[in-house]
Amino acid sequence: MMASPGQTVALVIFGILALGFGTAVFRTKSMVRSALALLGSMAAVGGLFFALEAEFLGVLQLMMMATEMTIMAIFMVMFMMDPGGLGQMEMTHQKRASLTAGVVSGLIAIGLSTLSSWAAVVAAAPTPSAQLHDLGIELMSRSMLIFETAGLAILLAMIVATTIALKAEEKR
Amino acid sequence: MSGLVLLLTVLAGVYLVAVLEEWSATGRLLLGTPVVAGLAQLSRESLVPRKPDRLLFETAPALLLVAALLAAAVLPLAPGLVAVDLATGALFVNAALAYVMVALVMAGWAPDAAYALIGGWRFLGQLIAYSMLIVMPLTAVAMRAQSLATTEIVTSQAALWNVLAQPLGFALFWLAAMALAFVPPFDLPVAPGELAGGVFAEYTGVRLAIVRLGRLVLVLTLALAVVVFFLGGWLGALLPGWGWTSLKTLGVAAVMLTVGRYVPRLSPDTLLAWAWKLGIPLALVNILWVGITLLTVQR
Amino acid sequence: MSPLVLALLVGAGLFGIGLYGALSQTNLVMIMMGIELMLGGALVNLVTFWRYLHPDVYSGQMFVLIVMTAMAVEMAVGFAVGIARFRARGSVEMEEAVELNG
Repeated sequence: MMASPGQTVALVIFGILALGFGTAVFRTKSMVRSALALLGSMAAVGGLFFALEAEFLGVLQLMMMATEMTIMAIFMVMFMMDPGGLGQMEMTHQKRASLTAGVVSGLIAIGLSTLSSWAAVVAAAPTPSAQLHDLGIELMSRSMLIFETAGLAILLAMIVATTIALKAEEKR
Repeated sequence: MSGLVLLLTVLAGVYLVAVLEEWSATGRLLLGTPVVAGLAQLSRESLVPRKPDRLLFETAPALLLVAALLAAAVLPLAPGLVAVDLATGALFVNAALAYVMVALVMAGWAPDAAYALIGGWRFLGQLIAYSMLIVMPLTAVAMRAQSLATTEIVTSQAALWNVLAQPLGFALFWLAAMALAFVPPFDLPVAPGELAGGVFAEYTGVRLAIVRLGRLVLVLTLALAVVVFFLGGWLGALLPGWGWTSLKTLGVAAVMLTVGRYVPRLSPDTLLAWAWKLGIPLALVNILWVGITLLTVQR
Repeated sequence: MSPLVLALLVGAGLFGIGLYGALSQTNLVMIMMGIELMLGGALVNLVTFWRYLHPDVYSGQMFVLIVMTAMAVEMAVGFAVGIARFRARGSVEMEEAVELNG
């Protein structure tokens, strides 16, 4: 597929969706809506990956984020005193400093993106089936060590998380 | 044009699955049941709970329906008759079906009711149980087909269907598909006796009609997935491709809907224990077995 | 404006929103949401660079896979720590966790 105007339009639409849902995360008072707005943002990022022809990554992003963000919503309801956001409590601190930090970092990133001179955009990307095949070869040959380390890290995280989350009496 | 054909096919399939569900419940094969039930449902009054999360309350049924339809869109009905032929089709089915969980958690939270909340949270426990058992047999199937595209997976079964080549994977995927579609005995979120309807208890009128439609499409999609990944899709003699797919899908759906009614409902901790202590080691053994056969025996 | 720059702007915006959230929220889970947004912005940038500058080299996609793995691992351990904290103290507000004794 070529870098067509349709691709740019899809990119812009998904980008606006991702940014819109992202701001909704911190503007709503309801915790469950925050988590689901974050899911919307991450799903829009997954759609962005589809628009950028990284099909496998898009599918992975959609799948992982659905489960992760729903679990986040469930944790919200378990651990927060006011998951529905109906109590009008103020749940933020150092608002001005964090707003400044966010805006400054965003502006630096925007400045760097627009003012750097990038090389010419490559017009065509490999087809999704060729990408899948080559990514598999890459995983199994050159990046095997990285892959195995990531697998080990996930296993460690599973053991660690389960151990921390067990009640104290059960650890004996 | 082909999109319209596919949509009509899905509607016809949903109609027949509804007839099958009625048959599994009452034992009588009445072909007019979906029309009568659908019209009756649409004419009932639509009650809204006192203080729901309105946005999530309206979105949940639609999301259930959309997730099931998206998953069905990548599954082929006949050579060339597939809505979206993705190169990562098998994984996309899993991704789309993950949003069923999002819809159920939304539906559990939105009505601000206790039973709905319990039902939705129980579905999370069910998801932790079944989600690995969906993906690992699919991995083994993709190993055999050397591709994630659903059409390639069907054509790779020309010599021998996956149900015979990977019986362990078939059994695990079947059970996990039943758990995903929350049919009995895995109907924790909507437990009719225990939770008084659970997740969908507070839905009435048009919204309940959409919920029921979404659930039927989900059952149909999962039956079609079992057929495509394990039962050879459109392969078979005499009948045209779509004929075989339809017959096999309806057969799988009929068995899925009837078998569970004779088994008591599984409690969440039993389900999780069996899935993680027995199911996942078996799924890994399945992958190992498939890998060994692929490397030693000519496909 | 080339699609490359447009996509990088999206990544920059997500990062900025995430940083604001991570610094301004008091609840552990909300801070983690901010971190997820920042990582999402980084992922957008990575895929953009892969697609528009080096689509035939798959190190970009590998990097994305590793970042996704890191996101999942961080969430798992973060929630485990949150559960332990909740059991010990009864809340996961970070304002109350300023002094870590007991």
